[in-house]
This record gives sequence, C-alpha cells and structure tokens, in this order.
Amino acid sequence: MSSDSRSYKAKVVTELLAKKLTRPLVASLVSCVHCGMCHQACHYALANPDDPRMTPSYKGDQLRKIFKRTYDWTGRVAPWWVSAKVPLTDEDLEVLKDIAFGTCTNCRRCTFNCPMGVDTAAVNRTMRGLLTAVGVMPEGVRVVSKDQWEIGNQMGVLKEDYLETLEWLSEELVAEVGDPAAAIPIDKKGAKVVYAINPREVKYDPRTITNAALIFYAAGEHWTMASDWWDQTNFGLFSGDDQLGGAAGRRLFERVAELGAEKLVISECGHGYRSTRCEAQNWAGVDVPFVMESAVITMINYIKEGRIKVDREKNSIPVTYHDSCNLARSCGITEEPRELLRLVVSDFREMTPNRQENFCCTGGGGAMSMSEYTPRRLKSAVIKAKQIADTGAKIVATSCHNCVDGLSDLIKYYKLGCQVKQLVDLTAEALVLEECAVRRTPQRVVTMPEPLPEVAAAPARDLPLAGRTVLVVDDEEDARTFIAAVLEDAGARIVYAADGDEALAVARRERPDLITLDLSMPGKDGVEAFTELRHDAELATTPVCIVTGHPEFRRVIYDRPVPPPEGYMDKPVDGEQLVKNVRRILDTAHAAA
Amino acid sequence: MPQHEPSALLHTVEIIHWSALAVMGLVYTIRLWWLLRFRATRDRQAPGNPARTDGRRGALYSLANVAMPWAMESTRRKPFFYATFVLFHLGVAAGIGLAFLSSLAPGLVAQPAYAAVSGTLLAVAFVVAVGRIVRRVVTPYLRLISSPDDYFSVIMLTFWFALGLLAQLYVAGVLAGEGYLVAFLLATSFFLIYVPFSKISHYLYYPFTRFWLGRTLGHRGSMPPVRA
Repeated sequence: MSSDSRSYKAKVVTELLAKKLTRPLVASLVSCVHCGMCHQACHYALANPDDPRMTPSYKGDQLRKIFKRTYDWTGRVAPWWVSAKVPLTDEDLEVLKDIAFGTCTNCRRCTFNCPMGVDTAAVNRTMRGLLTAVGVMPEGVRVVSKDQWEIGNQMGVLKEDYLETLEWLSEELVAEVGDPAAAIPIDKKGAKVVYAINPREVKYDPRTITNAALIFYAAGEHWTMASDWWDQTNFGLFSGDDQLGGAAGRRLFERVAELGAEKLVISECGHGYRSTRCEAQNWAGVDVPFVMESAVITMINYIKEGRIKVDREKNSIPVTYHDSCNLARSCGITEEPRELLRLVVSDFREMTPNRQENFCCTGGGGAMSMSEYTPRRLKSAVIKAKQIADTGAKIVATSCHNCVDGLSDLIKYYKLGCQVKQLVDLTAEALVLEECAVRRTPQRVVTMPEPLPEVAAAPARDLPLAGRTVLVVDDEEDARTFIAAVLEDAGARIVYAADGDEALAVARRERPDLITLDLSMPGKDGVEAFTELRHDAELATTPVCIVTGHPEFRRVIYDRPVPPPEGYMDKPVDGEQLVKNVRRILDTAHAAA
Repeated sequence: MPQHEPSALLHTVEIIHWSALAVMGLVYTIRLWWLLRFRATRDRQAPGNPARTDGRRGALYSLANVAMPWAMESTRRKPFFYATFVLFHLGVAAGIGLAFLSSLAPGLVAQPAYAAVSGTLLAVAFVVAVGRIVRRVVTPYLRLISSPDDYFSVIMLTFWFALGLLAQLYVAGVLAGEGYLVAFLLATSFFLIYVPFSKISHYLYYPFTRFWLGRTLGHRGSMPPVRA
C-alpha cells in the first residue's frame, strides 16, 4: 500500500487499530462468511429494504477491510481478492463515520443471530473508537464526550445545579411523606449503599430520583448519593473510546470506595449498567471492593425481603416491557424486570419478540445525541413501533433512560398514544408506604406532621406559583392551552405568545417571571427567540424553560453562545412535572437573586 | 464391486493430495499461532447479578449453537435455509471422506451403501451450492458484501461437489475412467492449499469466535439466552 497517499488521519486510524486488536475481536474479523443471516436481525436493514448498506455484515466489513489490508495474508498480497482496503482520505473517514455512527446502534441483535458468533457490534464500536481518536465523530458525540471528560458527567450538569436539584427534590419528598428522614442523603460516609444515576434524571426526569429516594426511604435503607462523580453512564461505550470509558468508571468506583459503601446501586440505565457493571473495570484495569447491582434487582430484593410493600392494583393500565439491548443482550437482565413488573402492575403484556431477541428502541448507541441521523433513526423505528402497537399496552415500561428517549420519540412520531415509564416509577406508584419497613421499625421515631392541605382547597396565595407571571410560548394551541391550564391551576398568571416575535414583544411588555418556550415554531423559532432574549439587557435573566417535542434540539439550544436555559422538558408534558420544574426554576432564580 | 487399482498417475496425484494436506496442516498451525498472538481479554466483573452467570456454560452453549437451529431467530425462522446449510456441509464432509478414503480404504468407498449415501450427499450439496451462487448473485445486500473470494469459494466448491460425485460414481463402478478420481483429487489438493487463505478458513476460526463470545456473554448472564 502506498502510505504516502493517505491523509494523516487515515494513517493514524490504520495504525491505531493495532492497539485495539484482541483475540475475540480478531476472531470476529476473520470469521464472517458473508452469509447474510444478520440482515434480518437488524432494524435498520428491515426498515430500509432498498438500501443494502444497512446489512450488519457490510457495517462490520468497514473495519474488516482495514484489518485484512493490514494484517491478513491474502489481504496484504492480493487485497482486491478479499476486498481489503484502508481509508486514504479524510472524506473516506467521513463515509466510515456515517456508517459506524449513523447506521448502527450497536444493539448486538445481529451478534445473537450470527451462526459464526461474529460480534458485529463490537467490531462497529471499534470502528467508532478509531474514528473518535482522530476527531471524526458526530458533533453530538463530541459535545457529550467533552462534557464527560471535563465536567464529569455526560450532560455537563454543574455540581451546584446537581446539588440544588437534589435539595429541591429532597424537600419535596420530605414534605410529601411528612418525615425529615426521607431527605436525600449526600456524601454520607459509611452508608451501605451508594446510588449512582444518569444525568438525564437531573436534567429532564427528576421524578425518577424522587421515586428511587422514596423506595430507599420506605425500605429503611442506609444509603447516600455522591456530591460528585455520581454519573453511572459512560459515553465511552458509545464513542468506542476506552480511555474515556475507563476514566469515567474509575472516578465512580473511587468515589464509592471513598464513601466506604458495600454496594453501588445503579439506577435504571441500560448502557450505564453495562458500562459500570460489565465494562468499566476492564477498560480501567481495576478491580472494585464493593458489589454492583441494578436498581431493578435492589427493588425486587426489597419486596422479597418484605422491606417494602407494593400493591399492583395501583397500576392497572396495560403495561408492556421493552428490553434494553444493553441489559438483555449484553448483561443478561431479562427476567428480573419482568418479575418486578408482575409485582407492581396488574396488566402486564409481553412484547414480541422479547428478551435477547427484542428490537432496539432505536435510540441506543448514543443515537439520541446524533441529530443528523434523526430521520434515518425514526424511519428505522417502524419495526419497534409495530412491536409496541401490537401489544395494545398504554404504558411501555423500560429500564433504560436512552430507551425512554428513543421510545418517547418514536411513540410521538408514529402516534402510538402511549407513554414510557421506568420500573422505578411504577414501583414507587405501587408502594404502600404505611406497610413498608420505615413505618414498621419500632425504634424509629417518626413525627408525622399534619396532613398537607388539598391543593384544590388551598387559598390562592398557598398555591405553588401564586403571584407569578408565566409567558407560555407555543404555536400549537392545544399545547399552549394545556400548559397554561396546568400553570394557572398552580396559581400563576398566564400570558401567551404563538411565535418568537410575539414572545419577545409580550416579554418586553409583561416582564414575566418565567417563560416556557417551544422551539419549533413558524416565523422566528424558539432557538432564535431564546438567543435574542439572552442578548436583551432587560430580559437576559428571565428564566426560560424549554418545552419541546424535538429532543434533537437539545444540543442546538445548549450549544448557543449564551447562558443555557434554566429548564428543559420534552413533550408530551406531564402536568405535575411541569409545575415542579417551573417552581424549582423560580425558587432557584429567587435564591440566586 | 470394481477394484480400485491406482495407476502411476493416480498414485502421483494421491501423493500430491497428501502433501497438500500436510501443507494445509502447517499453514493452519501457523494461523492458530497468529490468532493466539493477539491480546487475550479478561472479564474483571464479578459473576452474578443476574444470578445465572456462567462463562463455561455460555461457551459450551455457544459452541453447540450450530447444531441448535431453534437457538437463533435467524435459523428458527428460516428452516429451509438451515437445512441447506446442513446439507451443504454434509456434502463437504462426504467429499473430504471420499478424498481420503479412496486411497486409505478403497474397498469401503466402493461399497454400494457408502456410495449411495456419499453420492447423494454430494449431489444434494451440488444443488445447494448452485443455489448459493444464484442467491449471492441476485440478492443486492449479498452482492454488496461479496468479494471475489466469496464468489470463487462457492464456485470452486460447486465444481468440487460435481467432481466428487463423478469420482464417487467411478469408485463405485458406475462410471468408467480413472480421470474422474484424478481430477477430484487434484481439485481437493488445490482446495486444501487454497482454503487457509480464503473465507473457507472460517471453519478453523469459528470455534474460537463462538467460544470467546459465549464465555464473555455467559459470564454476564446473557448466554444461553432466555426465551419466553
């Protein structure tokens, strides 16, 4: 091969391959017979029958070609005979990027359907790692990886924001159960359990933290959360960057060890669990002195041990379960979620196929952070959409935050009319607190305050948003009306706008305490309006909560060279969450002022 | 039953054939050494969670997977394709058996029962192989992933099955003319030397691939997979 004709990056990609080669990987590279059995296993291939490039073998061949050209006898002597080839230019690397990141979620379904046992997902991840090493990756992957390296969590949640959120959640939980002992413990040394979460929970789905805290409290667990290095997710898995994977894992492991915990409980996240429990030790080359456990298993054990009591009749809406690829195919967790669901919901329906044969949510492998591939992802989601629709369920339960986003997106796109929940939510909803360990422990002194007054019966001044003015900006009348009604019920005064220009005008006139802002609107859209707001001397500090049906816009809005929004919510909006978020934002803004 | 009396030509071809086998053995040994030179992996994570994690069991299951068409969706939903896979490889076994037994135990391969089974397997495998060529040519995604080696390997095997059938008929006394056996043994010799450099070498590698995959996933609890 003529090395002179290769670009610098292309040369480095080929050279770096040597460091990534292990026996199992090489075996996967030399064993493919191009039989095509993987074709029917891939949701991309099934949903795009006219595009042969979606065949998993073709995706794996991209690295296989480089390997053969560099290491295989035949490939080195007669490359054309075995289609051996190395990338020559940066444009070649861009093509490889599109294939490795944009046509595969590394779900491993093809691996389980390969007669040779070729692990195409591992091959594709290696290809991603080589490209990442030379900076050829989707922008979203770059941003998220940077956040995980530099800030310590993949969504760039600042420590103060994280702690403020926990404090707010803690206060709400204490008020809800009427017991100061329900507060979320932070950095409690000697706690038996450290609970690590996905930053998505802090940013977009804090109810999962509250629900987990409620369950720990109900079980009488001696637990804590860490004030830093609390992220159990790991973008190294998606980007193929083992160094990032090792570093992120090591930080978490060291923090748990510092706190002296016996057990690390990993919140519901497929890739987070796989990374933390199964991969990070290998990437980091360390052993850990504590047990690691999925929160699903923790919850089952609490029920089995009688530490918490649940009533499945509290969840009577039909529920199906979506197996996360990382949990089912890479970590063997298939029966535990079902066992838990049968305890906490009364109408559980299997999805077909399921367990290791389930199809990907289409948001795996970091796909949700790669907005440039969204149309292809949603087109390929037709397989998953049909699976869900066939169950007739109204709730899709899953044990993975990526899946929550991926499924929510496709449910909206294909108008399936159901919602996605995590098992921690369903378990918390089924909880019979009066019969849980915390209320049965005789030595525990629980001072129950007077019951909180009903919201509806409360005088207006006691409503959570009483005295506040909120500008609701949304071009869809239904959405505007719903958001306004929810906030009005919580005591807020509402003013409206249907596009960006109107929003700016109303904001200047009314000086609202907070703006809920849709992003996709005709005329001046939400992104432009948001940027203008931040540049307006009088409105720059007005808190903004983005409320959008386009999760892919997250990156766009957070990448603006202006202070980020104070909140972000996906549509469809849960009324209770909306009020909580708005209140939290206003309280935080008030405290900062 | 006709007696197989090797001529000088056939004797020479048999020597070539056995030499080719020795070359193949040497090359395969080097290939295995080459594969095992790469870095071994280690699963540091503790077993359990879920409870059923067993690397050994996973590896055994993975190795046995080839004989369990119900184990994978891809074979379970395509029983005809799996049947052709079995017949194709039984044909390979019959051809290899004929190649070696024709000189080691010429009386055995001339037996009518042996000849009937071997001949039938070779004939069916020939038909399957022709079908595989057609499938590879007409299926867009297979065309896209196929290299010259992929085409050549299956075409070579198709001819080899045909020559094997003719050679089997010759040693069974159905056809006259030593040339069938000579041609078959020469083709086998080429086959033996070419295989380690082609995709057909998968049969050397795939037990390792399956073992390592099964061991890792077994340790993590996802192999054997659970089905509803």
